[in-house]
Amino acid sequence: MPLLEIIDLTKDFGGVAANNHISLEIERGEIIGLIGPNGAGKTTLFNCIVGYHKPNQGAIRFKGKDITGLKPFQTNREGIGRTFQIMSISGDLTVLENVMVGSFCKTSDRRTARQEASEIMNLTGLEQDAEARLTELPVATQKRVGLAMALATKPELLMLDEVASGLNPRETEEMVALLKNIYVVKGLTLFLTEHVMEVVMPISQRIIVLDGGQKIAEGRPQDIANNERVIRAYLGEKYAKGRRDRGSI
Amino acid sequence: MRTLRDAFSFGDLPLVERIGFAIFIMFCTLFPWVTKGSFDQAVMIQFLIFCLYGLGWNLIGGYGGQVALGQAKNVGMSAYTVALLMVWWDIPFWLSTPLGVVVATIESFVLGYFLFRLRGHYFAIATIAVSLVWQQLFINWDLIGGARGVELPLKETPNFLYMQFASPIYYHYFAFLLVLAAILYMNWFRKSRLGYQLRSITSNEEVAESLGINAHWVKVKAYCITGVFAGMGGAFYTVYYNYIDPFSVMHLELSVMIALMTMIGGAGSMWGPIIGAMILIPLDRYLGAWLGGSGIIGVDFMIYALMVMIISAYEPKGIWGIIEKVRARR
Amino acid sequence: MEMLVPTIISALLMGMLFALVALGLAIIFGVMNIVNFAHGEFLMVGMYTAFLTATVFSIEPLLTLPIAAMVGFLLGIASYYFLVRYLLKGPMLAQLLGTFGLMIFLRYLAMCIFGPDYKTLEQGVLIGKSIKWGSVVLSYPRLGTAVLSLIAFGIIYWLINRTRLGKALQATALDVEAASYMGIDTERMRGLAWGLGGATMGIAGALLTNFYYVFPTIGILFCMIAFATVALGGFGSIKGAFIAGLIMGLIIDLGGTYIGPHHKFALVYLTYFLVVVFRPQGLFGW
Repeated sequence: MPLLEIIDLTKDFGGVAANNHISLEIERGEIIGLIGPNGAGKTTLFNCIVGYHKPNQGAIRFKGKDITGLKPFQTNREGIGRTFQIMSISGDLTVLENVMVGSFCKTSDRRTARQEASEIMNLTGLEQDAEARLTELPVATQKRVGLAMALATKPELLMLDEVASGLNPRETEEMVALLKNIYVVKGLTLFLTEHVMEVVMPISQRIIVLDGGQKIAEGRPQDIANNERVIRAYLGEKYAKGRRDRGSI
Repeated sequence: MRTLRDAFSFGDLPLVERIGFAIFIMFCTLFPWVTKGSFDQAVMIQFLIFCLYGLGWNLIGGYGGQVALGQAKNVGMSAYTVALLMVWWDIPFWLSTPLGVVVATIESFVLGYFLFRLRGHYFAIATIAVSLVWQQLFINWDLIGGARGVELPLKETPNFLYMQFASPIYYHYFAFLLVLAAILYMNWFRKSRLGYQLRSITSNEEVAESLGINAHWVKVKAYCITGVFAGMGGAFYTVYYNYIDPFSVMHLELSVMIALMTMIGGAGSMWGPIIGAMILIPLDRYLGAWLGGSGIIGVDFMIYALMVMIISAYEPKGIWGIIEKVRARR
Repeated sequence: MEMLVPTIISALLMGMLFALVALGLAIIFGVMNIVNFAHGEFLMVGMYTAFLTATVFSIEPLLTLPIAAMVGFLLGIASYYFLVRYLLKGPMLAQLLGTFGLMIFLRYLAMCIFGPDYKTLEQGVLIGKSIKWGSVVLSYPRLGTAVLSLIAFGIIYWLINRTRLGKALQATALDVEAASYMGIDTERMRGLAWGLGGATMGIAGALLTNFYYVFPTIGILFCMIAFATVALGGFGSIKGAFIAGLIMGLIIDLGGTYIGPHHKFALVYLTYFLVVVFRPQGLFGW
C-alpha cells in the first residue's frame, strides 16, 4: 500500500484547471521531487494534499485512508507535515516556543514538549537560536525553523514547499545535507516542491513533472533531465528544437 | 498535580516581577485596614472587578489577538441570572453563581462558534453588532425589569448565603480571592498547551493550522474561558451593588472599557490587565468625583481614548511593552 | 398595503444617503485595507458643524454643506497623519483599537462640548415641508437629501474614475509598492483617501441634519449601517456601496414599518451577520 495516493485529482479555479486529472503514488521512505515551471500547478496540488484547497474531483489517500477535503490541521494530525516557502510569523513567540507549539500537537505536557523541541532543534542546528524571534533571523535559519516546527509534529510524510527559494548556493547545499540527515534519522518520506531543478536533482529518488496542470513525466532524475517534454516545458519549444537539431542532449 | 504546580509557580519570572506581585498581594491584603474611607474602598473593589474582567479579556483579546468587544453581555447575563434567581425564587448566591457563569459561558460558546468563522475587523464589528442587539433587548424586555433594572431584596441581617455583609471588607476579600484565582489561572495558562496554541494562532493562523491546531476550536475555547471570567465578575457585581440595570452590566461601553483598559496596560502580557486597571479605575473614579459637580461627562472616556490612540500608534504592547523595552535596554 | 409604495420610495431616498455614508468607508478601506471605526463620528462632526453654522449664523442649512465637507476633509486628513499612519505599522489589534480610540474620543468630545441632548434644526428651505403626489407623500428633506447625496456620490465617483488623481488613488489601492515606483506619492494618496472619506461624511452629516436629531452618540448607529452596507456591497467596491445603500434603506424602512421601529436596526446587524457569514465577499466584491 502506498503511503500517499492521489487518484485522478482535478482542481479548477473559475474554469481554469490548475490541476487536471493528476494521479500519483508515493511509497513509504521515498524522496520525491515535484517540479514544473511557474504556474504548472505544483502549489495547487500541494495545497490540495495538505487541505488548503478542496479538489473538485478525485481522491487523496494517506495510509489507505481517504483524506480528501480534510482541513490542514486534520491532515497534519493524520501525519502530513509541511513547511512554508515564506513563513511570516509576527508576534513574540521565540524559536523554541514555536517549535514547542509543534510538539504540543502530540502531547499536552509542557515538559515533554520542551524536551522534544530541544531535541529537534539540535537536529536542525538551531541550538543557538532558541530565544531568538523568527523575524530577527536570516532566511536560511528561518527555513530551518520552519522545518523544525513541522518535524515537531512527528509527521510521516514531510512536504517541503520551495525549501531552497531565497537561499544562496552554499545555504542550499547545507539545506540538502540537512534534509538527507533528517531523512535518515527520522525515517521520513519527503515530498519536495521546487521550480529550480538543480535543487531536487541530487536528492530525489523519483521526480514528477507538472506542466499546465497536467503530469507530463515521472521517473528517475537522470531520465527526467533528458526527457524531451520536460525540457520543452521548462525552456520553451524553440530551445528544445534547437537541441534536437544539434542532435545532442 | 502538575497543573497546580504550574499555576502556583512563578519561578520562571524575573525577580522584579515576583517582587511586584508580592507587593500587589500585600497591598490588597492590607488595604482595608489602612484606609478607612468608604469611597477609597469602593474604588478598590471596582479595581478588583475590572482586574477580573481584564484578565479574562486578555485571553481572547491579548493572547488570542481577537478584538472581541462584547464582554459586557457575558457580565450582564451572569449578573441577571444571579439577580433574577434571587428575586424570583430566593436562590442564594452560591447556587445561582455557577448557573450564571454557565449561562455566560454558553453564550460565549454559541456566539464564538459562529463568529470565529470571521476574521479581523469582520469579527470585531460582529461582536459590536451582537452587543447592541442584546443591549436593546434587555432595555426593552419588561419581564426582567427593562430599563429600570433589577433590585435585590435585602435580608434583615448580614447573610453569607446571599453574600450580604454589613462591611465592605468582606466584599473586598472575596473580590481579591477571585482576582488571585484568576492570576493563578493565567499563570498556568501562559505555560499551557492552550496558551501556546493561542499565541501561535495570533502570530500566523495558517502556520498554526499546519501544526495540527484547530484554530477555530482553540479560539472558541479561549472565548468560553473569557466568558467564565466575565460571568464571575458579573455575579459578584450583582451582590456587591445589590442593583443592576442594562446600562451598568449590559452596555457596550463596559465592553469597550475592558478592552481599552487591557490594551493600555499591555494586551497579551500577564500583568498588563492589572496595570491597566490600576491606572484607569482610580483615574476614572477620582476624576469622576472631582468633575462630578461641574456636570462635565465623558472626560474620563476621552482620556482613555487618547491613551489608546497613543499606545496603538507607538507601543501596541501597552505600558507593559514600555516596561519590557526599558528592561531590555539595561 | 397602500403604505407600501410610499415606504419604498421613501426608503430608496434614504438609501441614497446610506450609499454616500458607505462610500466614505469604502474609499478608505479600498485604498488601505483598514477599517475606520470613527467613521460614524465623522458624520457626527459633520452634523454638529452644519447645526452650529446654521444656528449661530442663522443661514440656510443647505449652505453649510461646503463648510461641513471642508471640516470632514480636514478631520480625515488629520486622522491619517496623526494616527492612522502609525497604526499601519502595528498588529491587527492596534489597527482596530486605534481607530476605535478615535471614535470614542470624538464621541465624548462632543458629549463634553454639547452635552447629551438631542437637537434639531427648525428653519431651512427643506425643513418641515412635503410634497403630495396621489397617495404618496414625500418629505422635502428626504427628497433634497437624496438628490444631493446622489450628486455628491456622482462627483466622487467621477473624481475617482475619471481624473488623474483618482487613477493615482486606484493605483495605490491596487499595489502600494508598484504605485510608488510609478512616481505616485502613495503617502499623500492615503491621506487623500482619508480626506475624501471624511469629506463624504461631512456632507452626509450636513444633509442628515435637515431631518434627523443631532446628538453625540449618533455615530455608532451610522457606523454600523455603513459597515453593514459596505459588507453587503463588497468591501472596496463603489458600485456595490451604492446598490447596497439602497437595499439597506429598504431593509431599515420596511423593517421599521412592518416589524416595528424598535427592531429596525437589529435588522441592520442581522444583514451584516448573514452577509459576512454566507457571502463574505459581498454582492460585488471579489
